[in-house]
Amino acid sequence: MRVIVVGCGRVGSALAYQLYKKGHLVTVIDQKASAFDNLPVDFRGRTIEGDVLAREVLRRAEIEDADALAAVTSSDSLNALIAHIARTEYRVSKVVSRNYDPRQLPLQKAFSITVIASASWGVQRIEESLSDTPLRVVFTDSQTNFAIYQFEVPEFWHGRSLQELLPEGRSKAIALRRAGQLLPISVEQTLETGDLIYLSSDPEEIEALRHRLVFQKEQLA
Amino acid sequence: MNVLIAGGDPTGAQLAYLLLEEKINVCLVEHRREVLDQLHLELPTEVIYEDNATDLEVLEEAGIRNADVLVACTSNDADNLVLCYLANTLYHVPRTIGRINNPRHAWLFNEKLHVNVALNESSILAHLIKEEMSFGDMMTLLKLRRGEYALVEVMIQPGAKAAGAAIKDLPLPDQCVIAAIIRKGTMIVPRGATKIEVGDEVLAITNNIGEEQLAELFTFQNNS
Repeated sequence: MRVIVVGCGRVGSALAYQLYKKGHLVTVIDQKASAFDNLPVDFRGRTIEGDVLAREVLRRAEIEDADALAAVTSSDSLNALIAHIARTEYRVSKVVSRNYDPRQLPLQKAFSITVIASASWGVQRIEESLSDTPLRVVFTDSQTNFAIYQFEVPEFWHGRSLQELLPEGRSKAIALRRAGQLLPISVEQTLETGDLIYLSSDPEEIEALRHRLVFQKEQLA
Repeated sequence: MNVLIAGGDPTGAQLAYLLLEEKINVCLVEHRREVLDQLHLELPTEVIYEDNATDLEVLEEAGIRNADVLVACTSNDADNLVLCYLANTLYHVPRTIGRINNPRHAWLFNEKLHVNVALNESSILAHLIKEEMSFGDMMTLLKLRRGEYALVEVMIQPGAKAAGAAIKDLPLPDQCVIAAIIRKGTMIVPRGATKIEVGDEVLAITNNIGEEQLAELFTFQNNS
Protein backbone atom coordinates (compact mmCIF):
# COMPACT_ATOMS: atom_id res chain seq x y z
CA MET A 1 0.00 0.00 0.00
CA ARG A 2 1.20 3.52 -0.81
CA VAL A 3 0.58 5.73 2.21
CA ILE A 4 1.08 9.44 2.74
CA VAL A 5 1.47 10.66 6.30
CA VAL A 6 1.00 14.40 6.73
CA GLY A 7 2.70 15.74 9.85
CA CYS A 8 5.75 14.18 11.47
CA GLY A 9 5.26 14.89 15.15
CA ARG A 10 4.79 12.19 17.77
CA VAL A 11 1.82 10.56 16.07
CA GLY A 12 3.03 11.04 12.52
CA SER A 13 6.52 9.67 13.07
CA ALA A 14 5.29 6.65 15.03
CA LEU A 15 2.61 5.92 12.45
CA ALA A 16 5.00 6.30 9.52
CA TYR A 17 7.50 3.97 11.17
CA GLN A 18 4.89 1.35 12.01
CA LEU A 19 3.56 1.38 8.45
CA TYR A 20 7.08 1.18 7.05
CA LYS A 21 7.86 -1.80 9.30
CA LYS A 22 4.79 -3.57 7.93
CA GLY A 23 6.15 -3.22 4.43
CA HIS A 24 4.16 -0.27 3.11
CA LEU A 25 5.55 2.48 0.88
CA VAL A 26 5.45 5.50 3.14
CA THR A 27 5.85 9.19 2.29
CA VAL A 28 5.94 11.66 5.17
CA ILE A 29 5.29 15.37 4.61
CA ASP A 30 6.12 18.08 7.11
CA GLN A 31 6.66 21.82 6.92
CA LYS A 32 9.80 21.60 9.01
CA ALA A 33 12.76 19.44 8.06
CA SER A 34 13.63 19.14 11.74
CA ALA A 35 10.40 17.18 12.32
CA PHE A 36 11.93 14.23 10.49
CA ASP A 37 14.35 13.87 13.42
CA ASN A 38 11.39 12.23 15.19
CA LEU A 39 11.67 9.25 12.84
CA PRO A 40 13.79 6.28 13.96
CA VAL A 41 17.12 6.08 12.14
CA ASP A 42 16.19 2.90 10.31
CA PHE A 43 13.08 4.43 8.70
CA ARG A 44 13.44 4.02 4.94
CA GLY A 45 10.38 5.82 3.64
CA ARG A 46 10.33 9.09 1.77
CA THR A 47 10.34 12.44 3.54
CA ILE A 48 9.20 15.66 1.88
CA GLU A 49 9.74 19.03 3.48
CA GLY A 50 7.05 21.38 2.29
CA ASP A 51 3.67 23.01 2.52
CA VAL A 52 1.05 20.29 2.07
CA LEU A 53 -1.50 22.73 0.66
CA ALA A 54 0.82 23.59 -2.22
CA ARG A 55 -0.14 21.60 -5.28
CA GLU A 56 3.42 20.84 -6.27
CA VAL A 57 4.18 19.33 -2.87
CA LEU A 58 1.22 16.97 -3.23
CA ARG A 59 2.41 16.10 -6.71
CA ARG A 60 5.89 15.34 -5.40
CA ALA A 61 4.30 13.05 -2.84
CA GLU A 62 2.57 11.32 -5.79
CA ILE A 63 -0.82 11.68 -4.21
CA GLU A 64 -2.52 10.55 -7.46
CA ASP A 65 -1.14 7.06 -6.87
CA ALA A 66 -1.59 6.95 -3.10
CA ASP A 67 -3.91 4.32 -1.62
CA ALA A 68 -4.19 5.99 1.75
CA LEU A 69 -3.51 9.29 3.49
CA ALA A 70 -3.35 10.08 7.19
CA ALA A 71 -3.46 13.75 8.19
CA VAL A 72 -2.01 13.89 11.69
CA THR A 73 -0.69 17.44 12.14
CA SER A 74 -1.57 19.52 15.18
CA SER A 75 -3.92 21.70 13.09
CA ASP A 76 -7.44 20.30 12.99
CA SER A 77 -8.64 22.35 10.06
CA LEU A 78 -5.57 21.42 8.05
CA ASN A 79 -6.10 17.73 8.83
CA ALA A 80 -9.75 17.80 7.84
CA LEU A 81 -9.03 19.83 4.73
CA ILE A 82 -6.16 17.74 3.42
CA ALA A 83 -8.08 14.51 4.03
CA HIS A 84 -11.09 15.99 2.22
CA ILE A 85 -8.97 17.11 -0.74
CA ALA A 86 -7.18 13.76 -0.93
CA ARG A 87 -10.52 11.99 -1.15
CA THR A 88 -12.46 14.33 -3.43
CA GLU A 89 -9.72 15.74 -5.64
CA TYR A 90 -7.28 12.83 -5.83
CA ARG A 91 -9.62 9.86 -5.19
CA VAL A 92 -7.43 8.46 -2.42
CA SER A 93 -9.56 5.56 -1.17
CA LYS A 94 -8.63 5.61 2.52
CA VAL A 95 -8.25 8.89 4.35
CA VAL A 96 -8.01 9.55 8.07
CA SER A 97 -7.91 12.84 9.92
CA ARG A 98 -6.55 13.15 13.43
CA ASN A 99 -8.35 15.34 15.92
CA TYR A 100 -5.98 17.34 18.08
CA ASP A 101 -8.19 19.85 19.92
CA PRO A 102 -11.43 18.20 21.12
CA ARG A 103 -13.23 21.54 20.66
CA GLN A 104 -12.66 21.24 16.93
CA LEU A 105 -14.00 17.70 16.67
CA PRO A 106 -17.48 18.76 15.41
CA LEU A 107 -15.81 20.83 12.69
CA GLN A 108 -13.82 17.82 11.50
CA LYS A 109 -16.79 15.51 11.66
CA ALA A 110 -18.73 17.85 9.37
CA PHE A 111 -16.44 16.67 6.59
CA SER A 112 -17.50 13.13 5.86
CA ILE A 113 -14.13 11.59 6.64
CA THR A 114 -12.85 9.26 9.32
CA VAL A 115 -11.71 11.24 12.35
CA ILE A 116 -9.59 9.70 15.08
CA ALA A 117 -10.05 11.67 18.27
CA SER A 118 -7.33 10.34 20.52
CA ALA A 119 -7.50 13.16 23.05
CA SER A 120 -11.24 12.93 23.75
CA TRP A 121 -11.01 9.16 23.71
CA GLY A 122 -8.20 9.26 26.24
CA VAL A 123 -10.07 11.65 28.50
CA GLN A 124 -13.09 9.36 28.56
CA ARG A 125 -11.03 6.29 29.34
CA ILE A 126 -9.07 8.06 32.08
CA GLU A 127 -12.26 9.33 33.63
CA GLU A 128 -13.69 5.81 33.64
CA SER A 129 -10.54 4.42 35.22
CA LEU A 130 -10.75 6.99 37.99
CA SER A 131 -14.40 6.40 38.81
CA ASP A 132 -15.24 3.70 41.33
CA THR A 133 -18.27 2.27 39.53
CA PRO A 134 -17.73 -1.24 38.26
CA LEU A 135 -18.00 -0.18 34.61
CA ARG A 136 -15.20 -0.30 32.12
CA VAL A 137 -15.05 0.11 28.40
CA VAL A 138 -13.91 -2.82 26.31
CA PHE A 139 -14.47 -1.39 22.82
CA THR A 140 -15.06 2.04 21.33
CA ASP A 141 -15.70 3.43 17.89
CA SER A 142 -14.45 7.00 17.89
CA GLN A 143 -16.47 7.80 14.75
CA THR A 144 -19.91 7.20 16.19
CA ASN A 145 -19.29 7.30 19.94
CA PHE A 146 -20.63 3.77 20.16
CA ALA A 147 -18.96 1.64 22.81
CA ILE A 148 -19.15 -1.72 24.53
CA TYR A 149 -18.83 -1.71 28.29
CA GLN A 150 -18.25 -4.43 30.81
CA PHE A 151 -20.25 -4.13 33.99
CA GLU A 152 -19.46 -6.19 37.06
CA VAL A 153 -22.58 -6.68 39.20
CA PRO A 154 -21.87 -5.26 42.66
CA GLU A 155 -23.05 -6.85 45.88
CA PHE A 156 -25.86 -4.38 46.41
CA TRP A 157 -27.39 -5.41 43.09
CA HIS A 158 -27.43 -9.11 43.92
CA GLY A 159 -30.80 -10.73 43.33
CA ARG A 160 -32.24 -7.96 41.22
CA SER A 161 -33.20 -8.19 37.58
CA LEU A 162 -31.48 -6.99 34.46
CA GLN A 163 -34.56 -4.91 33.64
CA GLU A 164 -34.15 -2.89 36.82
CA LEU A 165 -30.58 -2.18 35.90
CA LEU A 166 -31.32 -1.21 32.30
CA PRO A 167 -34.77 0.33 31.92
CA GLU A 168 -35.54 0.86 28.22
CA GLY A 169 -32.82 3.16 27.03
CA ARG A 170 -30.02 3.31 24.62
CA SER A 171 -28.11 0.58 26.45
CA LYS A 172 -28.49 -3.00 25.42
CA ALA A 173 -27.13 -6.06 27.19
CA ILE A 174 -25.40 -8.24 24.63
CA ALA A 175 -23.86 -10.92 26.84
CA LEU A 176 -23.98 -12.15 30.42
CA ARG A 177 -21.09 -14.08 31.84
CA ARG A 178 -21.36 -15.99 35.12
CA ALA A 179 -18.58 -18.19 36.44
CA GLY A 180 -16.94 -18.49 33.06
CA GLN A 181 -20.17 -19.42 31.26
CA LEU A 182 -22.28 -17.33 28.91
CA LEU A 183 -25.92 -17.22 29.99
CA PRO A 184 -28.89 -16.38 27.77
CA ILE A 185 -29.96 -12.75 28.00
CA SER A 186 -33.46 -12.02 29.21
CA VAL A 187 -34.85 -9.01 30.99
CA GLU A 188 -36.12 -11.11 33.87
CA GLN A 189 -32.68 -12.58 34.44
CA THR A 190 -31.78 -12.34 38.10
CA LEU A 191 -28.29 -11.02 38.65
CA GLU A 192 -25.68 -12.31 41.02
CA THR A 193 -22.68 -10.59 42.52
CA GLY A 194 -19.72 -10.85 40.19
CA ASP A 195 -21.75 -11.40 37.01
CA LEU A 196 -20.20 -9.68 34.03
CA ILE A 197 -22.66 -7.94 31.75
CA TYR A 198 -21.53 -6.64 28.37
CA LEU A 199 -23.45 -3.59 27.25
CA SER A 200 -23.53 -1.75 23.97
CA SER A 201 -24.17 1.90 24.66
CA ASP A 202 -23.16 5.48 24.12
CA PRO A 203 -21.29 7.46 26.79
CA GLU A 204 -24.33 9.53 27.82
CA GLU A 205 -26.33 6.45 28.61
CA ILE A 206 -23.44 4.98 30.56
CA GLU A 207 -23.27 8.22 32.52
CA ALA A 208 -26.96 7.80 33.41
CA LEU A 209 -26.35 4.22 34.48
CA ARG A 210 -23.44 5.31 36.62
CA HIS A 211 -25.67 7.87 38.35
CA ARG A 212 -28.32 5.21 39.04
CA LEU A 213 -25.68 2.99 40.62
CA VAL A 214 -24.30 5.72 42.83
CA PHE A 215 -27.82 6.65 43.89
CA GLN A 216 -28.66 3.04 44.64
CA LYS A 217 -25.55 2.60 46.73
CA GLU A 218 -26.32 5.71 48.77
CA GLN A 219 -29.86 4.54 49.36
CA LEU A 220 -28.55 1.30 50.80
CA ALA A 221 -25.93 2.95 52.95
CA MET B 1 -27.95 41.95 5.59
CA ASN B 2 -25.87 39.97 8.08
CA VAL B 3 -22.16 39.58 7.55
CA LEU B 4 -19.98 37.25 9.59
CA ILE B 5 -16.26 37.96 9.46
CA ALA B 6 -13.72 35.46 10.72
CA GLY B 7 -10.33 36.97 11.51
CA GLY B 8 -9.57 40.42 12.86
CA ASP B 9 -6.39 41.24 10.95
CA PRO B 10 -6.37 44.70 9.30
CA THR B 11 -8.36 43.40 6.30
CA GLY B 12 -11.16 41.98 8.43
CA ALA B 13 -11.18 44.94 10.79
CA GLN B 14 -11.27 47.48 7.97
CA LEU B 15 -14.07 45.56 6.26
CA ALA B 16 -16.12 45.48 9.46
CA TYR B 17 -15.59 49.21 9.83
CA LEU B 18 -16.76 49.94 6.27
CA LEU B 19 -19.82 47.70 6.62
CA LEU B 20 -20.81 49.33 9.90
CA GLU B 21 -20.76 52.71 8.20
CA GLU B 22 -23.22 51.27 5.69
CA LYS B 23 -25.42 50.17 8.62
CA ILE B 24 -24.90 46.50 7.81
CA ASN B 25 -25.07 43.93 10.63
CA VAL B 26 -21.55 42.73 11.28
CA CYS B 27 -20.06 40.20 13.63
CA LEU B 28 -16.31 39.71 13.70
CA VAL B 29 -14.89 36.59 15.34
CA GLU B 30 -11.33 36.72 16.66
CA HIS B 31 -9.54 34.95 19.50
CA ARG B 32 -5.94 36.17 19.47
CA ARG B 33 -5.41 38.39 22.50
CA GLU B 34 -2.95 40.79 20.87
CA VAL B 35 -5.22 41.26 17.84
CA LEU B 36 -8.25 41.81 20.07
CA ASP B 37 -6.53 44.63 21.93
CA GLN B 38 -6.18 46.51 18.67
CA LEU B 39 -9.69 45.59 17.47
CA HIS B 40 -11.32 47.08 20.53
CA LEU B 41 -9.76 50.42 19.67
CA GLU B 42 -11.25 50.32 16.18
CA LEU B 43 -14.66 48.69 16.49
CA PRO B 44 -17.62 48.82 18.87
CA THR B 45 -17.56 46.02 21.42
CA GLU B 46 -20.89 44.50 20.38
CA VAL B 47 -19.49 43.72 16.94
CA ILE B 48 -16.59 41.65 18.29
CA TYR B 49 -17.08 38.03 19.28
CA GLU B 50 -14.09 36.83 21.24
CA ASP B 51 -13.48 33.20 20.47
CA ASN B 52 -12.00 30.79 17.99
CA ALA B 53 -13.85 30.77 14.67
CA THR B 54 -12.91 27.16 13.93
CA ASP B 55 -15.24 25.94 16.66
CA LEU B 56 -18.75 25.19 15.37
CA GLU B 57 -20.37 26.21 18.63
CA VAL B 58 -18.69 29.60 18.36
CA LEU B 59 -19.84 30.04 14.77
CA GLU B 60 -23.39 29.20 15.76
CA GLU B 61 -23.29 31.62 18.69
CA ALA B 62 -21.91 34.31 16.41
CA GLY B 63 -24.92 33.83 14.15
CA ILE B 64 -23.70 31.83 11.19
CA ARG B 65 -27.18 30.35 10.64
CA ASN B 66 -28.53 33.80 9.80
CA ALA B 67 -25.52 35.09 7.92
CA ASP B 68 -25.95 36.19 4.30
CA VAL B 69 -22.22 36.39 3.75
CA LEU B 70 -19.27 34.73 5.42
CA VAL B 71 -15.92 36.41 5.00
CA ALA B 72 -13.10 34.06 6.00
CA CYS B 73 -10.09 36.32 6.35
CA THR B 74 -8.02 34.73 9.06
CA SER B 75 -4.27 34.52 8.57
CA ASN B 76 -4.53 30.75 8.10
CA ASP B 77 -5.55 29.45 4.67
CA ALA B 78 -6.65 26.03 5.93
CA ASP B 79 -8.97 27.75 8.41
CA ASN B 80 -10.33 30.02 5.68
CA LEU B 81 -11.06 27.11 3.37
CA VAL B 82 -12.68 25.03 6.08
CA LEU B 83 -14.81 28.00 7.13
CA CYS B 84 -16.06 28.67 3.60
CA TYR B 85 -16.81 25.00 3.02
CA LEU B 86 -18.73 24.53 6.26
CA ALA B 87 -20.53 27.87 6.04
CA ASN B 88 -22.05 26.82 2.76
CA THR B 89 -22.51 23.06 3.17
CA LEU B 90 -23.49 22.93 6.83
CA TYR B 91 -25.12 26.31 7.47
CA HIS B 92 -26.29 27.22 3.95
CA VAL B 93 -24.71 30.66 3.97
CA PRO B 94 -25.42 31.81 0.39
CA ARG B 95 -22.16 33.64 -0.21
CA THR B 96 -18.65 32.87 0.98
CA ILE B 97 -15.55 34.97 0.53
CA GLY B 98 -12.12 33.55 1.33
CA ARG B 99 -8.86 35.37 1.80
CA ILE B 100 -5.77 33.76 0.32
CA ASN B 101 -2.71 34.42 2.46
CA ASN B 102 -0.28 32.34 0.46
CA PRO B 103 -0.67 32.53 -3.36
CA ARG B 104 0.50 28.91 -3.58
CA HIS B 105 -2.80 27.93 -1.97
CA ALA B 106 -4.87 29.82 -4.54
CA TRP B 107 -5.69 26.64 -6.50
CA LEU B 108 -7.85 25.43 -3.61
CA PHE B 109 -10.02 28.53 -3.34
CA ASN B 110 -12.72 27.50 -5.76
CA GLU B 111 -16.30 26.28 -6.04
CA LYS B 112 -15.30 22.74 -5.11
CA LEU B 113 -14.53 23.93 -1.61
CA HIS B 114 -17.53 26.26 -1.74
CA VAL B 115 -15.53 29.49 -1.97
CA ASN B 116 -17.58 31.92 -4.05
CA VAL B 117 -15.04 34.70 -4.16
CA ALA B 118 -11.33 34.38 -3.51
CA LEU B 119 -9.37 37.41 -2.42
CA ASN B 120 -5.73 37.14 -3.25
CA GLU B 121 -4.18 40.21 -1.66
CA SER B 122 -0.55 39.50 -2.25
CA SER B 123 -1.18 38.43 -5.83
CA ILE B 124 -3.13 41.61 -6.59
CA LEU B 125 -0.28 43.62 -5.14
CA ALA B 126 2.37 41.66 -7.02
CA HIS B 127 0.47 42.14 -10.29
CA LEU B 128 0.19 45.85 -9.66
CA ILE B 129 3.90 46.11 -9.11
CA LYS B 130 4.60 44.03 -12.19
CA GLU B 131 2.35 46.28 -14.26
CA GLU B 132 4.11 49.31 -12.94
CA MET B 133 7.30 47.86 -14.30
CA SER B 134 6.07 46.65 -17.68
CA PHE B 135 3.93 49.62 -18.68
CA GLY B 136 6.25 52.31 -17.48
CA ASP B 137 4.15 55.30 -16.58
CA MET B 138 0.73 53.69 -16.88
CA MET B 139 -0.65 52.79 -13.49
CA THR B 140 -3.63 50.70 -12.44
CA LEU B 141 -5.61 52.62 -9.84
CA LEU B 142 -8.40 50.13 -9.34
CA LYS B 143 -9.31 46.63 -10.43
CA LEU B 144 -12.95 46.01 -11.26
CA ARG B 145 -14.83 42.75 -11.62
CA ARG B 146 -12.05 40.65 -10.09
CA GLY B 147 -9.40 42.23 -12.26
CA GLU B 148 -11.20 41.90 -15.57
CA TYR B 149 -11.50 45.67 -15.93
CA ALA B 150 -9.28 48.39 -14.55
CA LEU B 151 -9.20 52.10 -13.98
CA VAL B 152 -5.80 53.23 -15.26
CA GLU B 153 -3.92 56.49 -15.12
CA VAL B 154 -1.19 57.62 -17.45
CA MET B 155 0.93 60.75 -17.64
CA ILE B 156 1.50 61.78 -21.26
CA GLN B 157 5.20 61.92 -22.08
CA PRO B 158 6.76 63.70 -25.09
CA GLY B 159 6.96 61.16 -27.90
CA ALA B 160 3.76 59.34 -26.99
CA LYS B 161 1.62 58.60 -30.06
CA ALA B 162 -1.41 60.30 -28.56
CA ALA B 163 0.35 63.59 -27.75
CA GLY B 164 -1.19 66.39 -29.77
CA ALA B 165 -4.02 64.25 -31.18
CA ALA B 166 -7.76 64.79 -30.65
CA ILE B 167 -9.55 61.97 -28.84
CA LYS B 168 -11.86 61.32 -31.82
CA ASP B 169 -8.80 60.64 -34.01
CA LEU B 170 -7.26 58.13 -31.61
CA PRO B 171 -7.62 54.43 -32.48
CA LEU B 172 -8.99 53.60 -29.03
CA PRO B 173 -9.70 49.95 -28.23
CA ASP B 174 -13.39 48.89 -28.13
CA GLN B 175 -13.52 48.02 -24.47
CA CYS B 176 -12.08 51.33 -23.35
CA VAL B 177 -13.36 54.71 -22.34
CA ILE B 178 -11.45 57.86 -21.42
CA ALA B 179 -12.97 58.98 -18.16
CA ALA B 180 -11.15 62.21 -17.38
CA ILE B 181 -8.13 64.34 -18.17
CA ILE B 182 -6.32 66.25 -15.47
CA ARG B 183 -4.46 69.23 -16.91
CA LYS B 184 -2.44 71.55 -14.66
CA GLY B 185 -4.41 70.40 -11.66
CA THR B 186 -7.92 70.87 -13.07
CA MET B 187 -10.16 68.22 -14.49
CA ILE B 188 -11.32 68.38 -18.08
CA VAL B 189 -14.30 66.35 -19.23
CA PRO B 190 -13.03 64.59 -22.34
CA ARG B 191 -14.96 65.20 -25.59
CA GLY B 192 -14.16 63.99 -29.08
CA ALA B 193 -12.49 67.26 -29.98
CA THR B 194 -10.35 67.45 -26.84
CA LYS B 195 -6.68 67.27 -27.72
CA ILE B 196 -4.28 65.28 -25.58
CA GLU B 197 -1.30 67.35 -24.46
CA VAL B 198 2.07 66.43 -23.03
CA GLY B 199 1.86 66.49 -19.24
CA ASP B 200 -1.84 65.53 -19.17
CA GLU B 201 -2.89 62.85 -16.72
CA VAL B 202 -5.36 60.66 -18.55
CA LEU B 203 -7.76 58.40 -16.63
CA ALA B 204 -9.35 55.54 -18.54
CA ILE B 205 -11.45 52.48 -17.87
CA THR B 206 -10.43 49.45 -19.90
CA ASN B 207 -10.36 45.66 -20.05
CA ASN B 208 -7.14 43.65 -20.08
CA ILE B 209 -6.71 43.66 -23.86
CA GLY B 210 -7.47 47.37 -24.19
CA GLU B 211 -4.90 48.13 -21.53
CA GLU B 212 -1.98 47.11 -23.73
CA GLN B 213 -3.30 49.10 -26.70
CA LEU B 214 -3.76 52.11 -24.45
CA ALA B 215 -0.22 51.81 -23.21
CA GLU B 216 0.96 51.83 -26.79
CA LEU B 217 -0.96 55.05 -27.52
CA PHE B 218 -0.29 56.96 -24.38
CA THR B 219 3.19 56.03 -23.22
CA PHE B 220 6.47 56.65 -24.93
CA GLN B 221 7.31 53.50 -26.89
CA ASN B 222 11.00 52.99 -27.32
CA ASN B 223 10.71 50.27 -29.94
CA SER B 224 8.36 52.12 -32.33
